[in-house]
Amino acid sequence: MKNIFALLLTMSFFLANSQDVEEIINNYIEITGGIDAYQELEGYKIYASVNQQGLEIPIEIIQLKKGRTSLKLSLQGQEIKQGVFDGEVLWSTGFPDFKPVKSDDEDVINLKNELKDFPDPFVVYKELGYTVELDGTEDFEGTEVNVIKLTKTPVLVDGEEFPNIDYWLFDAEDNIPLAVRSEILEGPAKGFIEEQRFSDYQEVEGIYYPFSLTFGVKDQPGGQTFVVEKMEINPEIDESEFSFPDDETQE
Amino acid sequence: MKKLKSFLLLSVFLSLNLFSQNDEFIDLEDYYGDMTARQIGPAVMSGRISDMENHPTDPMIIYTGTAGGGVWKSNNAGTTFRPIFDDHSQSIGAVELDPNDPDNIIYVGTGEPWPRNSVSVGDGLYKSVDGGKSWLNIGFKNSERISDVIVNPDNSNEVYVGVLGALWSDSEERGVFKSSDGGETWENILYVNQSTGSADLTLDPNNSDIIYASMWEFRRGPWFFESGGESSALYKSTDGGESWEKIHNGFPEGKLGRLAIAVAKTDSNILYTVIEAEKDEDKGLYKSFNGGESWEQVNNDFGITVRPFYFSRIVVDPKNEDIVVKAGLYGSISKDGGKTFQDLGFMHADIHDIVFDINNSDILYVGTDGGVYRSWDKGVTMEIVENLPLSQFYHVTVDDNKPYNVYGGLQDNGSWYAPSFAPGGISAKHWNPVGQGDGFRVYKHPKKNIIYSEMQGAENVWRYDVDNNRVKTIQPLEVEGYEKFRFNWNAPISTSFHKPDRFFIGSQYLHLSDDMGDTWKIISPDLTTNDKSKQTQSESGGLSMDNSGAENHTTIFTIAESPIDENVIWIGTDDGNVQLTTDGGKSWKNLTSNINSVPSNTWVYHIEPSVHDVGTAYVVFDGHTTGDMKPYALKTDDFGMNWVDIIPNNDVYGFTRSIQEDYGNPDLLFLGTEFGLYISINGGNKWNKFEKNVPPVAIHHIELQKNTNDLILATHGRGIIIIDDISPLREISDESLSKKLYFFEDDEYIISDLGGFADSFGRETQFFGPNSSLNAQIKYLLPKRHTFGKMTMEIFDDNGKLVTKLSPGKSKGMNFVTWNYRMKQPKVAKGKTLARGGLSSPRVKEGQYDIVITKGKDSFTKSIYVSDDPNTDLDSDEKKLKIDTTMKLYNLSEELAYVVYTIDEILSSDNFKKGIKNKLQTLKESLVITTGDNYVGQAENELREDLLDLFSKISSSYDKPSQNDMDNLNLVVEEYDNLKGEYDKIIKRIDFNEINLLSFEDFLEN
Repeated sequence: MKNIFALLLTMSFFLANSQDVEEIINNYIEITGGIDAYQELEGYKIYASVNQQGLEIPIEIIQLKKGRTSLKLSLQGQEIKQGVFDGEVLWSTGFPDFKPVKSDDEDVINLKNELKDFPDPFVVYKELGYTVELDGTEDFEGTEVNVIKLTKTPVLVDGEEFPNIDYWLFDAEDNIPLAVRSEILEGPAKGFIEEQRFSDYQEVEGIYYPFSLTFGVKDQPGGQTFVVEKMEINPEIDESEFSFPDDETQE
Repeated sequence: MKKLKSFLLLSVFLSLNLFSQNDEFIDLEDYYGDMTARQIGPAVMSGRISDMENHPTDPMIIYTGTAGGGVWKSNNAGTTFRPIFDDHSQSIGAVELDPNDPDNIIYVGTGEPWPRNSVSVGDGLYKSVDGGKSWLNIGFKNSERISDVIVNPDNSNEVYVGVLGALWSDSEERGVFKSSDGGETWENILYVNQSTGSADLTLDPNNSDIIYASMWEFRRGPWFFESGGESSALYKSTDGGESWEKIHNGFPEGKLGRLAIAVAKTDSNILYTVIEAEKDEDKGLYKSFNGGESWEQVNNDFGITVRPFYFSRIVVDPKNEDIVVKAGLYGSISKDGGKTFQDLGFMHADIHDIVFDINNSDILYVGTDGGVYRSWDKGVTMEIVENLPLSQFYHVTVDDNKPYNVYGGLQDNGSWYAPSFAPGGISAKHWNPVGQGDGFRVYKHPKKNIIYSEMQGAENVWRYDVDNNRVKTIQPLEVEGYEKFRFNWNAPISTSFHKPDRFFIGSQYLHLSDDMGDTWKIISPDLTTNDKSKQTQSESGGLSMDNSGAENHTTIFTIAESPIDENVIWIGTDDGNVQLTTDGGKSWKNLTSNINSVPSNTWVYHIEPSVHDVGTAYVVFDGHTTGDMKPYALKTDDFGMNWVDIIPNNDVYGFTRSIQEDYGNPDLLFLGTEFGLYISINGGNKWNKFEKNVPPVAIHHIELQKNTNDLILATHGRGIIIIDDISPLREISDESLSKKLYFFEDDEYIISDLGGFADSFGRETQFFGPNSSLNAQIKYLLPKRHTFGKMTMEIFDDNGKLVTKLSPGKSKGMNFVTWNYRMKQPKVAKGKTLARGGLSSPRVKEGQYDIVITKGKDSFTKSIYVSDDPNTDLDSDEKKLKIDTTMKLYNLSEELAYVVYTIDEILSSDNFKKGIKNKLQTLKESLVITTGDNYVGQAENELREDLLDLFSKISSSYDKPSQNDMDNLNLVVEEYDNLKGEYDKIIKRIDFNEINLLSFEDFLEN
């Protein structure tokens, strides 16, 4: 018992004293898998679903270290792709005709920068020149969190550069991210704060990932939850998965 | 992953320690979880604006500071706004952007500077360095109201703050302050005395060393308002505030009141000031052509001199020194340097501030008592902003309709009612006016479609016959034998719990009518102190008489009939009396001497008789109109003989205005304060602030709807705010928190047949208040946030069959998961397009269901009974027919989906002959749509679409299947059988070993 109490005492002291930002990040990386495991990652494929009151929509998300990404959802057997990037072209399935639609160059530039965050922005932030700072603590739905302000490569909006800032909320008790927030910079929701909430962390080949991700707006009820069913690590993906379909493949 | 596991083990040990506590110490804030309020507005009449501010370089960005609803920002030139200051005092004096970094550095001075009787208070100066995402209070915590904040355009570190200061008391925190370090430290650079504050402050736009400050001597009390005195003056500094001189050459003799000051940007020598003076002929607009060395009166119109305390603002067109706009009753504009004015275009009265667009002076933004208006033609035509829900309620009541209606009156915006639920959301069109002038308390007759409402000082009390659209004025008039009736500005009226036609109104007497106001009797003596020295409202105003009735005093303010015993009536007066009758008004006891913990004559703002015990009542006192900002809430359980302080631990911020006892748990209390809502689960021993979509806004009254347990807040600046179903709070305790997961018991699961059509026209720019949910809310409590491992929620029917899966909440505290009483959608055959009918899913039948939450290795089950809509017209046979028909089509859809899947697998395989493939392709074209798109290129329906359209029609209806539906079903089934028969014939020739086909069961799961 003595040892447990000593350990608890040490841990209590550790938790009671504010950690510096690097300590939080290092602890996060360490307890979710360690830097080596992250650096061995070449990509992953996520099998998930969203449930809209009985309508269950399967989703597959692919992200590769070499800068490829896609999101595919299935509805009544129809495959609808969103945010597919082959390294040059960013495209999505349009509606109602289901034909592919390309995004503009600005979106491509912003996505290319975003994809550099692979496998995790806190693994690569130094080499990408991002800055991190502890932005205080707050009570997040009853749980004390450390807020880390992560300033990344600026984003382009209508040709103008805007600061690209994420606020990551790390559980002060166990250094796991519970949410990330960022300001919506364009469109009718400009100025609102987007919030992604994470839970159900599970281990996949040595790394802990959140298996439940809820997307919503800060301080607003509701949101849409993605439930991850399984993950494939370093999957073999054919390049054609990301290619913009030509006329033939559309048919 | 040993590292993580050992860490998690430690976390468990640590978290166990958290529960060695008891109810007295539960930090309720940690457990609110999904309990969130909804703001339903209205925005139809918006609310009072105190300040307008535009961005110095981006004409799209406009800010408004509001009297009681915080700070709002527009990114689209005032088309729509959103709130950016919801965590702090909602009473705003001034918004200022740093001209050198306007996208990031914003100052907000709190406390409205237009000090009418009902004005709220602020709590200092706030600064944001991230464009309004976060705010820090940087001083002036006790200033109460800040009139101006100005950042030196030549030096962002130099900030000037004009502090108007306390309205109801002396204060030393007044005058002009300067910071030279961006707000870190402050120096008071112009101070006059404890009753004189800075009412207007401006920098010369062309020379930041030159500052003009108007100092105003003023004071308000419960029964008077004084504007003006020897200390009011206009000052000028030419050295950045080091020294000041009065610039009164040409001013009228005698005392001065509130002065406005403005400098023309195009010519710094041209100044305008609006002067409140002793003599009416001396009041008005004065102009200087030499930077204030001398002044001449240029205008004395009503629009210039009216109510200086409320309208003392003058604004000069930044591009033309001859164009001047004056705030006022209607607002007025001069195009000849102030010689003549004409009213601004028609809009809500009482204009407080105006800004010109930075590039185009034809564009104006105007702040009024009824929101923000835009003009594109220099004030000729005004257009209201439709999404600013800033309504300032004094009171709220509800009825027992389903959905229930809310009723209340507003500052300068009449009286209204609206449903608490409307298809598509509660919008402007759902609010119905039921009164004029300033509105206050509104009551629905308990049985009849009659609504009572009133205007200020009970000048009119109306009985509105809604069905016949007829109005009768029913306030009691003076009769022989009684003193002149004294009605409060916010006069108390009330219906009775016990007699539907009974109606009360309070002057200094309690008046009772048993015939809906047709005849009256007085059932009390004068229940106030009747202190004649406090009945001087007709002299109110100071240099400008302001006898609006707002200062009527020594009046009854609260009438509270016991819901248990009609003979027990509690009365509270604005001059501190708590009176009680237990015999229906035959005799009265003044209980005031039994109350020791509240200063004498403190306003009795609200009395809440208990629903649990006839001798129990709660009283809230409000001393702010004498400068006493302390919160007071007391409880008696012996008819007022003894009282206990129920804020014993000093954990409430802001003076108190209202209290509400829960109908279920007598220890659950809700307290409305000047800075938001507090909740106690232990009878007031510990109060916890509720901030889930409830800003720190003044809450003037609280109501609890008995059928829904919805808590309804009448806010003075953010409209009506509703917290749906507070019943889970009744069950939060050490015991429930000691469970790994606790399902709340106090709930019901009733399917609603309500539907209707949502009107979404105008949604882009109008305010729509959100609805409560018609769906099931599965409610449970987690003592700790769920982070690691899988957590799922499934619903099973009474045969143990999975009905649907839901996404469970993971928050610490209360989690509410919505279920629409529907099972998962059927599997739908793949076609070229989407089958819209396949997006429906069947509603479950009435009966027993198990909710199962799996959290790691633990499983938690709650059995519930789902009931059909009690208003359903269907008998049990009809219900069964509906379910059976729906499920028949559901199953057919899944079978068809498997057939099409099989065909597709064969068609994509190289192992089959072309002839068979061709036959299957031809068959498929009759089973599902294989051409066209999802819009106007849509192909004709095939079997899938026919089947699913019928499925959707029946499953989404509240009604039983019609005969036509059943006839159509026969057709669909026949079509299915025929095509399935063809399919069966073709596939007889298929060797299924040639393809890797999923079984039907696996296909459904996949």
